[in-house]
Amino acid sequence: MPLSREEIEEIKSILSREPTLEELAMFEAQWSEHCSYKSSRRLLRLLPTAGRNVLIGPGRDAPAVEVFPGVAVVFKIESHNHPSAVDPYNGAATGIGGIVRDILTLGAKPIALLDMLYLGDLRDSRAKWLAKGIVKGISDYGNRIGIPTVAGDTWFDSSFNTQPLVNVACVGIAKTEELVRDRPAPRDAILVIGNPTGRDGLLGSSFASKPLSDNPSEDIGAVQVADPLMEKILIDSILELARKKLVKFVKDLGGGGLTTAVAEVAADFDLGAELRLDRLHLRTELTPLEILVSESQERMMLVVDKEKLADVVAVLEKYDVPRSLIGFFDGSGRIKAYYENKLVADIPAKELAKPRDIWRLSRPPVELVKLLNPVSDIPVVSVAEALDSLLSSPNIASKKWIYEQYDHEVGIRTILKPGFGDAAVLRLDTGDRRGIAVKGDANPRYTAIDPFNGAANSVAECYRNLVAVGSTPVAFVDEPNAGNPEKLEHFWYFEMMVKGIAWMTNELGIPVVGGKVSFYNEDYRGRQVKPTATIVGVGAIEDVGRVKSIDLKHEGSTILVVGTTYPELGGTEYLARVHGIEAGGVPTPRPSSELRNASYIAKLIDDEIALSVHDIGLGGLAVAIAEMAVLSDIGVEIDIEKIPHRGCSRLDEILFSETQARYFIEVKPERVEKALELASALGTTAAVVAKTTGRKFYTVKLGSITVIEKHLDYLRELHEESLRKTMV
Amino acid sequence: MPKIAILKFPGTNCDEDVLKSLREVGREVRAEIVWHKDFRLADGWDAVIVPGGFSYGDWLRAGAIAARSRAVLELPEAAIKSVPVLGICNGFQILVEAGLLRGAFLPNESGRFICRWVRLRVDNPKGPWLSLAKNGDELHMPIAHGEGRYYIEESDYKSITSSSPLIRYLPNDNLNGSSYDIAGVGTEDGYVLGVMPHPERAVNPLLTPRGFKPGGEVIFRSILYSLKSGW
Repeated sequence: MPLSREEIEEIKSILSREPTLEELAMFEAQWSEHCSYKSSRRLLRLLPTAGRNVLIGPGRDAPAVEVFPGVAVVFKIESHNHPSAVDPYNGAATGIGGIVRDILTLGAKPIALLDMLYLGDLRDSRAKWLAKGIVKGISDYGNRIGIPTVAGDTWFDSSFNTQPLVNVACVGIAKTEELVRDRPAPRDAILVIGNPTGRDGLLGSSFASKPLSDNPSEDIGAVQVADPLMEKILIDSILELARKKLVKFVKDLGGGGLTTAVAEVAADFDLGAELRLDRLHLRTELTPLEILVSESQERMMLVVDKEKLADVVAVLEKYDVPRSLIGFFDGSGRIKAYYENKLVADIPAKELAKPRDIWRLSRPPVELVKLLNPVSDIPVVSVAEALDSLLSSPNIASKKWIYEQYDHEVGIRTILKPGFGDAAVLRLDTGDRRGIAVKGDANPRYTAIDPFNGAANSVAECYRNLVAVGSTPVAFVDEPNAGNPEKLEHFWYFEMMVKGIAWMTNELGIPVVGGKVSFYNEDYRGRQVKPTATIVGVGAIEDVGRVKSIDLKHEGSTILVVGTTYPELGGTEYLARVHGIEAGGVPTPRPSSELRNASYIAKLIDDEIALSVHDIGLGGLAVAIAEMAVLSDIGVEIDIEKIPHRGCSRLDEILFSETQARYFIEVKPERVEKALELASALGTTAAVVAKTTGRKFYTVKLGSITVIEKHLDYLRELHEESLRKTMV
Repeated sequence: MPKIAILKFPGTNCDEDVLKSLREVGREVRAEIVWHKDFRLADGWDAVIVPGGFSYGDWLRAGAIAARSRAVLELPEAAIKSVPVLGICNGFQILVEAGLLRGAFLPNESGRFICRWVRLRVDNPKGPWLSLAKNGDELHMPIAHGEGRYYIEESDYKSITSSSPLIRYLPNDNLNGSSYDIAGVGTEDGYVLGVMPHPERAVNPLLTPRGFKPGGEVIFRSILYSLKSGW
């Protein structure tokens, strides 16, 4: 986003003179939406960011929470939507690179990656090309740097045909006392390490802060090129530097490049800095302006005490890390950049780093009312055929084609692997029973229909997924992906999504410790993509030997449903996939039921009553129980007359409603009584609704009438092969 | 006590996993991750493991650059001195590129990277890495590679098939299209072994998915046993 006329006037008054070209470029980079949060900061203050476990909240490159005494988890989310729309392979790959470096800045060891991909309709050739390139980019980069990609979320919708959303998250661990978080001080050295700086990614943040042009290939110069080998070397060397306590502070040279890295540190610690731009190692000859705003990847800034400089250099030598000593911090409060002894920029750090908030106005779109009204007269269709259609829907079908391209095993921590659990589970280390659960979620359809409740449901979905595997949710990070903040109706979606996230996280009592905001997600005609609120959560697990997967464990088990089902077909996968309707409001968020049912699930897992647990999400309970059966090759028979509901009058309402706060649990018959007792003690709705059988069939009964009966092999083929068939 | 070197190149990423799994199998094992610049065979290593990853970013071909590093150029000496060498995944590719093992690697038939647990069978187990395995043993481990299609000329295959240790994918689990279902191959004496699947990921039952058993353990148990008691 180029600077506005008002902003240029403001810059003149900050400097009390005309800015140089270099200074203008620095302001443009730093004051971009991507770097400065100028439109979003006011609303982001609504999020609950504090908590007992929060070690570092928003503000640094990544937040940190203490999941166990002395054990910190550092995790963060990032979007690479715009670059991925232009060059899907490099755009997605560099997204991974950036988020990993954010985690490294605190000296934490990255142990897991997540990818939340909101892709176009695969019948569209460009959308398919983008989807394949994005997956390949993540696969090649993540695999090469040796961090397992263990979880995520994938969604397909034609609104993402030209502008996909690529949200990636990284999770790292560190001993709390080993986190790198000293205060930079005057006379500390500024080292830039990693790739030589080139012309790629010039003003990339500014590019990400405006709509795409109608010919996306024109923006190719703003996309960075990925070099995973350099990233891997940075990981190895920075972890060694952190372990030896040789660096005071580390920052990624990401969006805004050198300008942002130096300005933010100087502003945060009341410092200034003197930079010698001609000392930076370059790939090709660059002007001082280009050096200041290039976003070449795999570069980081180290703040080092002068005394330790030699030790730091020795470690960098070992790994052959390219490096330049480009200057020192000082007490001046100003960023002064020299090029061959000529002063090219002289800007007060705080004014550069923190532009004034922009008070954006919002207005709900008029056509929204139509989306919120309940849909009446939904035609009656065969629920058996509807089930087939749902299981093969790319949003529901197995994502094997994607996650098998990711090395999800490296690190030997992945206890609950992709496809097996509602969340991924990683052990902290060999010989340690403790672990963490991680998951990312969003539902673009919900947030497009009702951004407040839709975003609240994303939070709840993530929460349930963490609970279902047997973890205690600890913290979230969020990424609202919205349209153009200058457009009142687009900004309204952003505002409502943030408010929905704030409301639900407050209700659940889980802090949002960090995140990222992505604006300008619109196509060249100015239509916003489905606004999407992505949530990534981390949960703590005392004993990874007791986590729950979704596959059924035994024949002859009893299955209970937890939670009450309401006739909530609005916004569901069923309504969209089978009836082509994306309206009717969204399922009501139910925070108090979420809390109650979660503590019930936790109790059942603690007391070793639950054999398997599955959250009921997209596609409703008909899909959830089919997934449990197909994965285990154990038959099920469910009687829908027994499902506790309120107001459902049709089969499809019971089977496909996406009412929140529900789970399936598998229990040994002899423990059923205990399970029901606990439910009534906790005030939770739970009922016996199904059993597992020795027949390899999925059977839905209404009392004595058989409503659906399908062989598991048939359903497995639909569920496991549909996406692959579409992709190849 | 015997000591094992785990060779690390820029881009190696399974070094720590190998170290941890070795320690999980034998608590008192002396194993160390050795940066390639610091590796000297003369330092008295009793066995060398070249772990997986993407050494030098797979530039040129997987394993091609590391195979020409000083550290790997010392390895033929190891074979002469009877120091056992194991290459896992990219380590296998490096040993093949270095000419220590026969064959060559091609991109997977599907053209895509694949990470999945597979079933394997051991033929002619011999040498220090397979001393505790029995002929025909079924082993389970995950694969994770993009260039894992092992290729060998028919004549070469005929010369090793009855004499050298081989680890094969069960027919349905040959996902990359390897010749003769070969997942791992050794020298005739079995001192040098290369395996494409990851034994270090298949040591702990906690990490083993339903329907599989941790089949990598036997390789680590074998080497610890062999170094102690011979083979």
